[in-house]
Amino acid sequence: MAESRDDFIIAIRSAFLKKSTKQKFSLLTLVFFSIFIIVLSSLNFKAISVTKTVIKEIVYRSSFIISLPENFIKSSYLNLIEYTNFYEEYKITKEELDQLKSENISTRIIKSENNELKSLIDGYTVTSNKILAKVIVDHESPFLRSIIINKGSKEKLKIGTNIYDRSYLVGRVIEVNYTNSRVLLLTDLNSNIPVSITPGNVQAIVVGNGDKKGEIKYIKNDLVNKIDDNGIAYTSGTGSIFKSGIPVGTVDLKDENKKILINFYSDFTQLKYVFAEIDELTPTFNEIEENDQTKVSANTEQIKLNLINDELQILEDSNTKFQEENQELNTLSNELNKQIEILKAENAFQKNVIQQYNLDKKELEFLRLNLIYSSKCQSKKLFSDGFKVGTPEYKECIMQKGKKSD
Amino acid sequence: MIKFKKKNTLYKLYTWLPILTLFISVFNEFDFNYLNIDYFSFNFPFILIFYFALKEYQRFDYLLVFLAGLFNDTVVGLPLGISSLSYILICIFATYLRNITISPNLIKDWFYFLFIISLINSINFSILFLFFSYELDITLFIINNFFTFLFYIIFSIFFKRYLKSIDD
Repeated sequence: MAESRDDFIIAIRSAFLKKSTKQKFSLLTLVFFSIFIIVLSSLNFKAISVTKTVIKEIVYRSSFIISLPENFIKSSYLNLIEYTNFYEEYKITKEELDQLKSENISTRIIKSENNELKSLIDGYTVTSNKILAKVIVDHESPFLRSIIINKGSKEKLKIGTNIYDRSYLVGRVIEVNYTNSRVLLLTDLNSNIPVSITPGNVQAIVVGNGDKKGEIKYIKNDLVNKIDDNGIAYTSGTGSIFKSGIPVGTVDLKDENKKILINFYSDFTQLKYVFAEIDELTPTFNEIEENDQTKVSANTEQIKLNLINDELQILEDSNTKFQEENQELNTLSNELNKQIEILKAENAFQKNVIQQYNLDKKELEFLRLNLIYSSKCQSKKLFSDGFKVGTPEYKECIMQKGKKSD
Repeated sequence: MIKFKKKNTLYKLYTWLPILTLFISVFNEFDFNYLNIDYFSFNFPFILIFYFALKEYQRFDYLLVFLAGLFNDTVVGLPLGISSLSYILICIFATYLRNITISPNLIKDWFYFLFIISLINSINFSILFLFFSYELDITLFIINNFFTFLFYIIFSIFFKRYLKSIDD
């Protein structure tokens, strides 16, 4: 008994403390090192933050380079799948594009009106500046859903900056380094998004399910029935974590576990480039008026001018659109007229052919009857009652098969 | 079979292959996640570290394993030191198993590996949940654990061949 305990202790000591010739540190030292680093990483000292930032900068860049071959294989595989569905998708996209083009103009008008109204209410307008960022690391951990982008504090990104794929929300920045940042995706279990669901204007919180979808949580029970399948979820702006009115996804009520899920508009596994929105507060007319009366007149004129310019721009766009449509219709009309002319000409030609055919047919009939009845209709003798060949009477006689009219 | 001339640069590189693979896998998150198979994931570094620590491979420097853990934490976005601790704990348990084993048996090693990764994943889950307030899905941990366990036997065949080629 004592012997086996001794063996156990020897084995444990050997595992923890014995250092083979090639090892620089014993395992126990490294365990203490790890625990020390874990404790340090939970503290917010500046020196630690700087060290962490430097390590992250190096590691993210290295990871990007090392991932290149795998990313190449991955993108080739995805491209192959994409090409097989290319034509069908092209047709659908073309239809959608036409529809969106027409909606775009009205959206711009609404945006302009919205900005005007916001400036009257808040005293500040938020001018957003979206910058393009490349996704440099997007390896999904099974436990955390995040990506690394190549923009950081150098480009004025900060913790909480909203990240978009086109105009759809994909997440927010949770860690900022000098030239890169980590973005927590909406699918992560730690992601909470306050949303409004339309129709019904139901307020809820969407939490990532760690996979591909979001799940609606924290909603009043009596409001659950108000939610429709395929209803649209957009950010409500509550809590000021996300801006209001950003499309998030559509409601999916077909879950087997009767959970209310959200299908996000964006496919987070396919992100290559994203937009980071840098907000800047711009004082509006009301704010300027309170602070500096002298600057007001000039700024007011400028704001008015800007608004007029905006309206002018929108009108010009509408005009251009109408002109384009008009031109298209004119072209179409001309083409149709040309086609009518061609058809008319064809019609006349065919009529002519038919007429000629009828004449030929009549002539042929006359010649055939002439062979049979010429003896009956011709005037051969002095007092016979026939007609002279070539006269209309003769022809009539032939056509009536030798019967003479009075 | 490829034969190397010893002290050749290529041979040296070949002998460092386990460590190189470990670093590539932590930088690259080698787990076939892009196949988008629901819930499928496994932890390749766990398999690699356990096998080579168990076989007392001379080039398998624990300090480099520790550094690989730090890099893994940075890439995945976990608090620094978590993966390093996990990797070093695997090394400790593997060394302990090596010390108490007289005649190695693959199946015994395999089930011992299951016990080790379950324990380490539990420690990871507890630290992240209790000290760092991470919201985590325990199902994903269990599935990851299960697939890591399954893949051990497959990878151990390749690793055995590799060690044999080095000895030859």
